[in-house]
Amino acid sequence: MEYKEVELKRGIKLHTIHTDKFKTNLIAVFLTTELNRENVTKNAMISTILRRGSNNMPTQEEISKQMEEMYGAGFDCGLDKTGDNQVLKFYIEIINEQYLPKDGKKLFELAVKSLFDIVFNPYIENGSFKEEYVMQEKNNIRQRIEGKIDNKARYAMDRCIEEMYPEDPFGLYKFGYIEDLEKTNGENLYKYYKELINSCKIDIFVSGNISEENRNVIENNENIKILQERDPKYQIPKNNLKEFNKKENIVTESMDVTQGKLILGLDINLDKEELKYPTLIYNSILGGTANSKMFQNVREKAHLAYVASSSFLRYKNNIFINCGIEIKNYDKALELIKKQIEDMKKGEFTEEDIENAKRGIVATIKTIDDEQDTGITYYFGQELTQSKVSLDEYIRKIKNINRDDIINIAKRVDINTIYFLRD
Amino acid sequence: MQIIENLKLKEKLYIEKLENGLTIMIIPKPGIQKKYIIWGTNYGSNDSEFFVPGEDEKTRVPNGVAHFLEHKLFEQENGTNSLDVLTALGVNANAYTTNDHTAYLFECTDNFYEAMDELMDYVQHPYFTDENVEKEKGIIGQEIMMYDDYPEWRVYLNAMQAMYHNNPIKIDITGTIDTISKIDKEILYKCYHTFYHPSNMALVVCGDFDPEEMLKEVKKRLIVKKNQGEIKRVYPKEPETIVKNRIEQNLEVSQPLYAIGIKDKKDNSDMGNKNLMVQKHIGMEILMNIIIGRSSNLFRELYQEGILYSMPSLDYEFGKDYAHVLITGQSTDPEKLYCKFKEEIQKLKTNGIKEEDFNRIKKMIYGGYVKEYNDVQDIARMFLADYFKGINSFDYIEEIEGVKLEYINQILKDVFKEEKMVISIVKNEQK
Repeated sequence: MEYKEVELKRGIKLHTIHTDKFKTNLIAVFLTTELNRENVTKNAMISTILRRGSNNMPTQEEISKQMEEMYGAGFDCGLDKTGDNQVLKFYIEIINEQYLPKDGKKLFELAVKSLFDIVFNPYIENGSFKEEYVMQEKNNIRQRIEGKIDNKARYAMDRCIEEMYPEDPFGLYKFGYIEDLEKTNGENLYKYYKELINSCKIDIFVSGNISEENRNVIENNENIKILQERDPKYQIPKNNLKEFNKKENIVTESMDVTQGKLILGLDINLDKEELKYPTLIYNSILGGTANSKMFQNVREKAHLAYVASSSFLRYKNNIFINCGIEIKNYDKALELIKKQIEDMKKGEFTEEDIENAKRGIVATIKTIDDEQDTGITYYFGQELTQSKVSLDEYIRKIKNINRDDIINIAKRVDINTIYFLRD
Repeated sequence: MQIIENLKLKEKLYIEKLENGLTIMIIPKPGIQKKYIIWGTNYGSNDSEFFVPGEDEKTRVPNGVAHFLEHKLFEQENGTNSLDVLTALGVNANAYTTNDHTAYLFECTDNFYEAMDELMDYVQHPYFTDENVEKEKGIIGQEIMMYDDYPEWRVYLNAMQAMYHNNPIKIDITGTIDTISKIDKEILYKCYHTFYHPSNMALVVCGDFDPEEMLKEVKKRLIVKKNQGEIKRVYPKEPETIVKNRIEQNLEVSQPLYAIGIKDKKDNSDMGNKNLMVQKHIGMEILMNIIIGRSSNLFRELYQEGILYSMPSLDYEFGKDYAHVLITGQSTDPEKLYCKFKEEIQKLKTNGIKEEDFNRIKKMIYGGYVKEYNDVQDIARMFLADYFKGINSFDYIEEIEGVKLEYINQILKDVFKEEKMVISIVKNEQK
């Protein structure tokens, strides 16, 4: 595995991950821009409109046929909220030529051309996105916004985040808002698209068994050549101290559910990037694995839940505890969860817990190279935080953490919001 | 060991059936850090009626035993839980139950052999007490309730209930709160001893290993068991007809969910003929994509009319005594979708499928099979699941060339019949 990055132009980078572990090559374009209320809905619209048609493939049907013809190239778009940024992601996955019948040559070039055509050369009629597409995609996004309620566990998590960040861009829903959707049309969206393309951070990733020739195909692509240099408008994730020991915000909502979903949003006061390493271990001991306090005490011993876990959101320094419980057990479960957080502060965990957590985390780091999309996500995370840490260094940092480092983190943890979704 | 090499994929399968009946499959992946091992028994939620080898009387157990066993096997006599032990080793351990098999597995980078000790030990040493069985009912009860809140699961299971009169594919894998309440340690032991015999099991390893060495490692961890005869399973007789053509449920969802099912005639002689099974599966994948895939006329129309916003998932599921096409997703108007779907099938039956569409989709499916070989987990799970259906996973990439357009037109006529179709809808009636 060999990772390389080159700045093609100011604000535009090409990252290549050379590896022969896969049957596929994965090419991705990430457009990163500041997350704010004004643009969140427009970005969501742009990410779906682009896949409707490009200058050379004006309909979705043509795009799909082209992908199928390329031995089922996987074309995919995503929209992520990464810290205070919104990231529009476009991927194409193709089979490496050596696993294809003879006519599979040139697949890489074709894939690059198609992907860049979709992202940088959209289908335009009279200086505007096609109104028909805009109208249909508005409905599409409306469904997504309304669809928030479908996955109850996910919904509870989103609502907890919203409650924790009422004034902060991070509290925004990544697909935007219905009232803003109504204000978009083909013309204003196209105008916004041009601004976005000229000002956002652009990262191109290629992972696979790639040659110098493949690299040249990207650099010499017409759509890349005409892109302007830029000082990209995006937010580098920061470690700001949070307000501590404030009153917990308790929110309860009703919906048609059989099982209650209990989420605790925790703040962690981290002022240095280095503190994220012990936090990973802290989270693992608290609720990250089947050995964790949450799983053992809430699920296995008290039988209060089937799901009992926690996850660390590294860009915002939060941990979310997530439980599916019987509704009548709310008080019991909450008390028990709080006790786990307190016990962590008191250092009530063993050396073995620490070692177990380290082993689990190290195993995860080692597999980053074994998954193509995980590799790309990892290097993109580094790019965004502007901290380059090799996988070996990352492992070393985890191994060096000791008990006091973890207790230090535990003392920086504070419950911000308790959210309960019930019947 | 027998070596099966696939030149298209540049992969090899090493396979061996031991004297005690256990099948071992090893797919080496040089240079990959991740290692994956999965040990499965050909026993799932569909197997509730059977003859214990050597007994004349049929045994009938409550629904949900296979899944219950999956939960309980982790518990050890010395008070430890194997899931904790494995997690402590830094490996990612899990287990799952399907309608035809139950599997225990882990993925790791380090400590493979220590974890393998634990895995092979706990799967071979059950420990059930009245107390620990009772305790588990609470946890599984929560799991059942969690699934009750998954509209995707409801719409799927309802479709099964509309298609099948008797086949157990229509029941919840977990059982219900009522059926699991009837499970006790005697039932668990009886099912364990019947189905967790090596002759009913297969073990798959994928990662950077030497196959011969791995075989030795597996053998030395096996305990000796008496040979066992064949387990006769009893599945209720299933008529060819469907139960009812529609089924609806009210749940709080933003947009209706639908599942269109088409019941296929399941000729059990197919189960022995793996080429026929594989060809049919490939044919169905091609056909479903031609009808309602991303580049189809139907999908374009439905998208433009705002009926569909995302590609439905297209599946052909089959096993002992059942087979069906399943098209699922979310739609603003499932009724209209269903209506147009049926119209499109009529059109295709009349006009025939275009050669150009067939060739393009076939290329896509070919690429899809190659992609299955990117990840040790996908590979190992696929080989295990296919094995229990009597299939070697490589067969898909080998058989696809031989699937011809005439065959696709034929299965379109034979299987896509209106009297075999059902629609299941989950929607919010207040809206």
